[in-house]
Amino acid sequence: MSAAPLLEVDGLTVEFRSLHGPVRAVDGVSFTIGAGETVGLVGESGCGKTVTGLSLLKLVPSPPGRYAAGSVRLSGQDLLAMPESGLRAIRGRALAMIFQEPMTALNPVFTVASQMTEVLRRHGALGRREARDAALALLKSVGIPEPEQRLDDYPHQLSGGQRQRVMIAMALSCDPKLLIADEPTTALDVTTQAQVLEEIRRQQATRRMAMLLVTHDLGVVFETCARAIVMYCGVIVESAPVAKLFSAPRHPYTTGLLESMPRIRDEKLRELPTIPGRVPELHRLPPGCRFADRCPRAKDDCRAVEPQLTTAADGSQVACHHPS
Amino acid sequence: MNAVIADALADPTPRSLWSAAVRKLARDRAGLIGLAVVLAYLVAALGVWLGLWATEWAEITGSKWAPVSAEHWFGTNIIGQDIFQRGIYSTATAFEVGLVVAVLAAALGGVLGALAGFFVGSWIDELILWAMGVLDAMPFYLLVAAVAFALADNPWSMHVAMIATFWTTTSRLVRGEVIKLRGMEFVEAARAIGVPPTVTIFRHILPNTTHILLVQMTLAFVDAIKAEVILSFLGLGVKGGMSWGLMISESTLEFLGGHFNNLIAASCLMFGLVYAFNMFADALQDALDPKQVSA
Amino acid sequence: MDLLRFALRKLLAGLPLILGVTLLSFTLMVYFGPDKTYQLLGKNPTPEQIAEIRHELGYDRPFVTRYVEYLRQLVTLDFGNSDSTGEEVNAVLARTIPVSLALELPGFILGNLLAIGLALTAGYFRGGWPDKLIMGLAVIGMSISFLIVIFAFQIWFCTSYGLDWFPVRGWKAENLAEYLRHIAVPTLATMFVALGYSTRFYRAVIVEELNRDHVRTARAYGTPPARLFYRNILKNCAIPIITRIMFTIPSIVIGGALLIETTFGIPGVGKVAYEAIVSGDQPVLKAVVGLTALLFVVTLLITDILYRAVDPRVSIR
Repeated sequence: MSAAPLLEVDGLTVEFRSLHGPVRAVDGVSFTIGAGETVGLVGESGCGKTVTGLSLLKLVPSPPGRYAAGSVRLSGQDLLAMPESGLRAIRGRALAMIFQEPMTALNPVFTVASQMTEVLRRHGALGRREARDAALALLKSVGIPEPEQRLDDYPHQLSGGQRQRVMIAMALSCDPKLLIADEPTTALDVTTQAQVLEEIRRQQATRRMAMLLVTHDLGVVFETCARAIVMYCGVIVESAPVAKLFSAPRHPYTTGLLESMPRIRDEKLRELPTIPGRVPELHRLPPGCRFADRCPRAKDDCRAVEPQLTTAADGSQVACHHPS
Repeated sequence: MNAVIADALADPTPRSLWSAAVRKLARDRAGLIGLAVVLAYLVAALGVWLGLWATEWAEITGSKWAPVSAEHWFGTNIIGQDIFQRGIYSTATAFEVGLVVAVLAAALGGVLGALAGFFVGSWIDELILWAMGVLDAMPFYLLVAAVAFALADNPWSMHVAMIATFWTTTSRLVRGEVIKLRGMEFVEAARAIGVPPTVTIFRHILPNTTHILLVQMTLAFVDAIKAEVILSFLGLGVKGGMSWGLMISESTLEFLGGHFNNLIAASCLMFGLVYAFNMFADALQDALDPKQVSA
Repeated sequence: MDLLRFALRKLLAGLPLILGVTLLSFTLMVYFGPDKTYQLLGKNPTPEQIAEIRHELGYDRPFVTRYVEYLRQLVTLDFGNSDSTGEEVNAVLARTIPVSLALELPGFILGNLLAIGLALTAGYFRGGWPDKLIMGLAVIGMSISFLIVIFAFQIWFCTSYGLDWFPVRGWKAENLAEYLRHIAVPTLATMFVALGYSTRFYRAVIVEELNRDHVRTARAYGTPPARLFYRNILKNCAIPIITRIMFTIPSIVIGGALLIETTFGIPGVGKVAYEAIVSGDQPVLKAVVGLTALLFVVTLLITDILYRAVDPRVSIR
């Protein structure tokens, strides 16, 4: 083993209060991200991937959320055990986050400059003038046209893609070690999606920062990440380098996800296969494997015993009694 | 962040708003205590209506300003009437004012709001919006006073004035909800198969706004009871009966003599009902708010 | 220039409202209001005397004529003389409106400031004991009648049964000390009653804003909570807060003042308006109701302009 990884998530468990009692949106999730590594966190909506992403900054709304167990260590420091004041020094600085909805993630009543310089002045200890110059340079570097004018615009005056670029510029403003991008392109239209994704990838490569890309879109992960983690119903079901995951998925859920992906170069137009059945409700989980009811390979043991995540010799992981 | 919670709790089988609301309400201790107190007041009022108690509220049963005793639980007033009996009798008045105003204001607001919302943008909508604006722009007490005079001291003039001003809030909320509903599939479908608009409004749309009407009724009930006290003090309220407002008004004559039993009794009885009802209304509002996921 | 055109258009759009309010109040208060004929006549009047008085009061003319005459008075701001005292209506208003403003404004401003402060505190500690305490007290405040608050405060502060610090009734404002002595208890009562509802409303607005995505972004970039509240949240909440404050202005000038002025014996415009209804003093009534409607429309206009000042998304179209 080389040096300790940048981020170590160990047994992270996040509960939400609900009408049916506490519900585990994230249930014992463990993974690591090394310095400069790009990791994709994939799953359907409701699988706990967004809550996992927010937990890394301890941003899950509480109540109703609660960190029931586990730790999130950044360079060895447990963020979940840290007081708010300590977290504030890390948020936006060592760890920066890009959100899904650029329309609502920026404050509508403050200008772009005001929101960017706020971060720069707090974390970078810059003066008013310097912060404005730094913000301008950042906007330029993320490819926003006419950055001088955009600085004094309000978010609603920008297009969706421009807003997301502002968000990226803000995230980059303090040279974070790890960038968390939560569905950064989902809310954008298709052509803008590709451009914004390219911008994120370019910035990641030039700045050599680590990145966790939270998305439901396997294609995005394939293009952007070195490794992928697949979540289902609050747990990790598979984790492997992207090339391996795509060529030889081991968990039947991953296989299902891959098969339901539209492929442009497909010769024959055929109906996309879907995964049969429904995601179980979090307050009524089956006793065994959470995927058993929808799994083509399910046997009796799958319905009785929950499979644990096991690590293969090459470091890839799978939680399945009958992996392929 | 609601998206996050919804994401985490994505529930593919949404239960009906009502059964969830009842379950949530059943867990709200403050709300249940409030409801119990309101029901106790209602029993007191029912007894008055059935003639079981507080029948001697208008009789002179003791000496002037008799102190608190077993015979006169809260003492007597300036002319020797029993304050406890008058206070209990006034409970019935409060319920009568509160219920009449709440139900009729909600009905009027519901119907006009639904009409405005369904025909949004048309002259019907414009007319109803204009009426709401006009009533909201009138100073409340002046309007009540004017209605009282215009109706020539009719005992219902206070109710009419309150209904005329209270319906606008309900109407605005229902209008907004109906505008949302009319874009939904079941309304489109009803229109497509040729269901007449009135049937659509009353059979399909209004029932979907009952949660708004219910909450607005609880708010109007409290507002009506509070307005009655002030109107009765100004001489525009209850006529030919007894109410907490009249008791308070009457008690002003007793201040100089240092007798506060009448004021204290009326104030406490009224505060008890209004506070309990507010607690219940809060719980009801929480229970019926579809945005709130947490218990 | 844009602003001026916007203001004119808004005022024009407010005309139907003014017409509605004046028509409704004219019908109710003037047409169906108390008849003053016999009050002004001596014993055993002759039919000629009755007809003359009715002509003087304008009762003999048709409804439409009288209503149009009212509108003309409103446009020229000349309402003639009071039927009851013969005093010029404008003089009555000039005498009473400043009193009402001096009486109501301190409580109104202090009440709203305090309510916003309490709401911010409750929102900051939401779910914690300061929140529960403040919101618990707010419900109690909401459940007590304004009238009871006034009497309780009068007995407590103004009589020998309590502290006996301030005068119960009357109005003197020759110097600051006298003025403060006379508005102290009315101000306290106004604040007490406004606090319950306002604090709850403002807290609801603040908590709703706290649930928005941009607040999460601010937190994700290390904004300290106190700064988040006084810088971000307060500006984001400005529109509903301004709306509430602005919309209570017309009602406190007349409605809120009425009860305070009646119970504290203060000669303000609320009391004058109420007495005009009771006695059927039509010129005074017409002036008060018409000006209130105007005030309402102007308030709507100012509110719209303020929106633009605080929220860049709102534009003067």
